[in-house]
Amino acid sequence: MSDSRDPRTGEPIPEMCADPKSAENSPRPPARQALMTISKATYFKEAALKNLFLVCACVAVAGVALIFLFVGLEGWPIFAKVGVFNFLGGLKWYPTKQFFGILTLIVNSMLAMIGALAIGGPLAVGTAVFLSEVASPRMREIVRPAVELLAGIPSVVYGFFGLVMLRPIVAHVFGGLGFGLFTVWLILAVMIVPTIATLTEDALRSVPDGIREASYAMGATKWQTIWRVLLPAAKIGIIDAIILGMGRAIGETMAVVMVAGNARVIPDGIFKPFLTLTTVIVLDMPYAAGDHRTALFGVAIVLFIISMLFVAAIRVISRFGKEMS
Amino acid sequence: MNLRRAVALLALSLVLVVSGCARSVGVSLTTLTVTGSTTVLPIAEVAATEFEAANPGKRVLVSGIGSSAGIEAVTKGTCDIGTSSRDLKPEEKSLGLVDIKIALDAIAVIVNPSNPVSGLTKAQVSDIFQGKITNWKGVGGPDLPIGLVNRDEASGTREAFSKFVLGTADFDPTAAVLPGTGQVRSVVAQASGAIGYISLGFVDPSVKALAVDGIPANETTVGNGTYPLSRYLHFLTKGQPSGLAKAYIDFVLSPKIQESVVRDAGFLPVAEGGK
Repeated sequence: MSDSRDPRTGEPIPEMCADPKSAENSPRPPARQALMTISKATYFKEAALKNLFLVCACVAVAGVALIFLFVGLEGWPIFAKVGVFNFLGGLKWYPTKQFFGILTLIVNSMLAMIGALAIGGPLAVGTAVFLSEVASPRMREIVRPAVELLAGIPSVVYGFFGLVMLRPIVAHVFGGLGFGLFTVWLILAVMIVPTIATLTEDALRSVPDGIREASYAMGATKWQTIWRVLLPAAKIGIIDAIILGMGRAIGETMAVVMVAGNARVIPDGIFKPFLTLTTVIVLDMPYAAGDHRTALFGVAIVLFIISMLFVAAIRVISRFGKEMS
Repeated sequence: MNLRRAVALLALSLVLVVSGCARSVGVSLTTLTVTGSTTVLPIAEVAATEFEAANPGKRVLVSGIGSSAGIEAVTKGTCDIGTSSRDLKPEEKSLGLVDIKIALDAIAVIVNPSNPVSGLTKAQVSDIFQGKITNWKGVGGPDLPIGLVNRDEASGTREAFSKFVLGTADFDPTAAVLPGTGQVRSVVAQASGAIGYISLGFVDPSVKALAVDGIPANETTVGNGTYPLSRYLHFLTKGQPSGLAKAYIDFVLSPKIQESVVRDAGFLPVAEGGK
């Protein structure tokens, strides 16, 4: 019975699977008994925990599989109906008039992502370098929680902030309504900072101190050490971080729908409204029926594939990095 | 003629039998079904809740399936009251439906208060929303690009506006599409070159409602039918309403509901019952 108590506290552990009775009554196999230094109850407990974690992992895998299956089943008829090329390559998205081309949306999503990355990437890597190499421990105590807090703000709050605060400022400075790529870039740039900054900081911290010391010993300044030595050494980790940031930017919906303006065209300027892959689902879902609804699931399939490509890219790059070192 | 009378008699006897059955079960007399226009839904629903509170034991079931479907349902007798946001078509007028106007829906074309333009013709509004006129100087205003603000396709206001102004033409696809009346109003209130449209009931001093064809948008012009972008919302019954249906309709037409529920939903009350 002592086995079912926590060794540190002496409290009985609420354990459903380790049955003390079976441990006492059933004879232990002699060979095992000789090898095992743990009691039968502990053995069952370990086995139960192992299976519990297996179930947890299976739920995650099953979740992905079920979503992919469901989205795929709901969405594939549109590929069959309008053709893969017409669906992915068509510029007109007017589902109520039987135009199901999502190239406009794909291009718009990419434009939003690239701009956000161009602004947010350097910002995030700079933040990470500051946290890892420059900041005093006290400064780090303040900045790091602030960056982490950015990740915890719900995206709809970013969107609301963008709509109510940022958009009027953009409209005032640059004219027009304030909806468009530029406003979306600013919002998304801030949103991807925590993702990229935390992972980049981890990558920089995993560079051994010996490398820093060697660089300083060669007479390099702090800036030279960061730019010539540390960033190249952490390159793979930083690229991974940026790809994760790209995934966040392209999948963002609520913040984008509020400041993008949602016009179904490729914008002819960075202050013109546009619609993306994610926001079209939010906007059209309430009234979509029939082929239109199927087409929205088709859009979901495309989003799914894009994020799978990102994950695959990270895996390939990481493997490549391991082979290099 | 004889045949029609026979059918009517048959229908009547059927209704009597059905209502007789229902009386023994005790459902039909206390439950009223109201179905049709999604535009009318907010009024019918809130009024139903208050009606049930005021009349314990009575149930009013409200649903939104579209005006045409609502008219069909009440004609077939699958609901007690059909609701519609459009007038009856000529071929629907002979179906024996009683049309009760319960509210006025008027759409105001709104601009920023700083915009010196105070009125447009319907054709100009149409050209602007089709993207044919892109600068305010094209309609006698300052040299300022027009910022078009449209509603999403799920919006009943968009549908009505499109019908009133554009006819068969399409909206300019480059216009900003916003998913709510409040958003349209606040964006137009902040951007000097913006133009949008919302239900007249939601116009407040932060925006300016334009006169259309020289007729200002206000309750008087909407009430006397001169303002061009307005329509009535209707309740339809098969024959003169009676019993629970009549009680509910009178409740909706009462000043209490007209001044609170109808106005809160962004519509205008009908003058003197609107019959």
